[in-house]
Amino acid sequence: MATPPDTLDKVGAGLDALDVPIEAHRPPLWRRFLKTGVPPIIAFAVLLGVWQALWASAVLPEFQLPAPVDVWDELVRSVGSGEAFGILWTSLHRAVFGFIAAVLIATPLGLLIAKVRVVRAAIGSLLTGLQSLPSVAWVPAAILWFGVTPSTIYFVVLMGSVPSIANGLVAGIDQIPPLLPRVGRALGAGRLASARHILLPAALPGYLAGLKQGWAFSWRSLMAAEIIATSPQLGTGLGQYLHNGSSLNDINMVIAAIFLILLVGIGIELLLFRPLERAVLRARGLTGAL
Amino acid sequence: MTATLETTAQSTVDVAVELTGVRKVFGHGSSAVVALDGVDLKVEPGEFVCLLGASGCGKSTLLNIVAGLDGATSGELRLTTSRPAVMFQEPALMPWLTAQRNVELALRFAGVGRPARKRRALELLELVRLGDVADKRPHELSGGMRQRVALARALASTTVSADGAPALLLMDEPFAALDAITRDVLQSELVRVWETTNTAIIFVTHDVREAVRLGQRVVLLSSRPGRVVREWDVTDSSDEVLDEINTELREVISGHAS
Repeated sequence: MATPPDTLDKVGAGLDALDVPIEAHRPPLWRRFLKTGVPPIIAFAVLLGVWQALWASAVLPEFQLPAPVDVWDELVRSVGSGEAFGILWTSLHRAVFGFIAAVLIATPLGLLIAKVRVVRAAIGSLLTGLQSLPSVAWVPAAILWFGVTPSTIYFVVLMGSVPSIANGLVAGIDQIPPLLPRVGRALGAGRLASARHILLPAALPGYLAGLKQGWAFSWRSLMAAEIIATSPQLGTGLGQYLHNGSSLNDINMVIAAIFLILLVGIGIELLLFRPLERAVLRARGLTGAL
Repeated sequence: MTATLETTAQSTVDVAVELTGVRKVFGHGSSAVVALDGVDLKVEPGEFVCLLGASGCGKSTLLNIVAGLDGATSGELRLTTSRPAVMFQEPALMPWLTAQRNVELALRFAGVGRPARKRRALELLELVRLGDVADKRPHELSGGMRQRVALARALASTTVSADGAPALLLMDEPFAALDAITRDVLQSELVRVWETTNTAIIFVTHDVREAVRLGQRVVLLSSRPGRVVREWDVTDSSDEVLDEINTELREVISGHAS
């Protein structure tokens, strides 16, 4: 043809060199901290300042709006006496066990709903509906069924988180570009190989989003269950601690409990889900949210 | 209507693919659309055939039938090759796998062991001149490079058979979404790969120039229903053949303006 092959080879090599996207240079650690770590710290400081100012203006009596320093003292006291660790442990281990059980139930359930038409038609919308049902609503029934026992708490946690996780997986599978499983078939993948090497990895971002939401739901369901279902044999979790504070009219305790509940939620998000999500999205070149 | 589909593996034949009276109907009753009607096509081992046609001529359908992704309504398909490999208009690489792992995936489905898989994948990436970027993921590569990874993957899936059956590569407008310069480079790359691997290729396109440049034989399909209208031997292509095919293609298309 018109162009000799060597010239085209050179053009090709030139194109390759030009086409490769330039890798974004990662800024140094202190600069990244300045960008992502400092704004929330400032926001927190502002919040504290507003709180302090409100307290100082005394618009609300002390038993409704305590001074920040009193809440801080309550926190220091409970941490110092070791009480806080016991309370955190009681709640956290329940949440973690409940969450693991929810993942084990929801994953096969999600796969079934996504891949079997009859199952989707039968319970797909029920599962979505359950997501909008506050899991507190299950507490009275669970107490009647299981009594004030750990079973009640686990039941409520499962009802809260299973729908989210299963729905996340279903959404993840639904959003797979149809070309990918087709390519798998063209390459000779069987049903199982296709699920293992194409469907599940392709659905991972959606599944992860479901897991994240599932964790949040299991944590708040746990709090709801612990606040309502209190009994000495259940031990003291964060919910009971909050409940006790309310019973004792001790606003410092109540706010300290809320603070601890938030702390766990934010901690798990920052230490577990965010790094996991980042790693998965970055590997696919989806860096918009980072 | 009965479909007689056979896939026989004979090694002493001079034909890689043979389609006899292939017919494909989508839908039923009054809303049925005949996509292919009595298509006969023979491809020799190692031959490069271009299927040319306007939209709606069922060229993709034909390719899907040969690939085994779709069944014919009636007619006969005979393949003497190993599993045909398919390349689509999009590279359709798995975004979570590196270039090398994407190529390895094809070998994995064929049951090749890990060390052999790795070696073969690197070999094929070298063949399409992408040895240096084996550990890059699709989003780090340009469109042309991705399509070359897809080519390496397709080659992996078809040249894997141990019994020495001839290889067959099916390409569905693989360069249509690329810019002109990249397309030019990839066309010459494909010809080079074809010459070194001795793979039979069925290449679907609507670009007459591309068909004449790449193929040894150009097969023109009519539209709705798709039938073979004419064939040209284009081994030593001249401008006259190009004009002739162009004229014929235009006639086929203008036949639909009523």
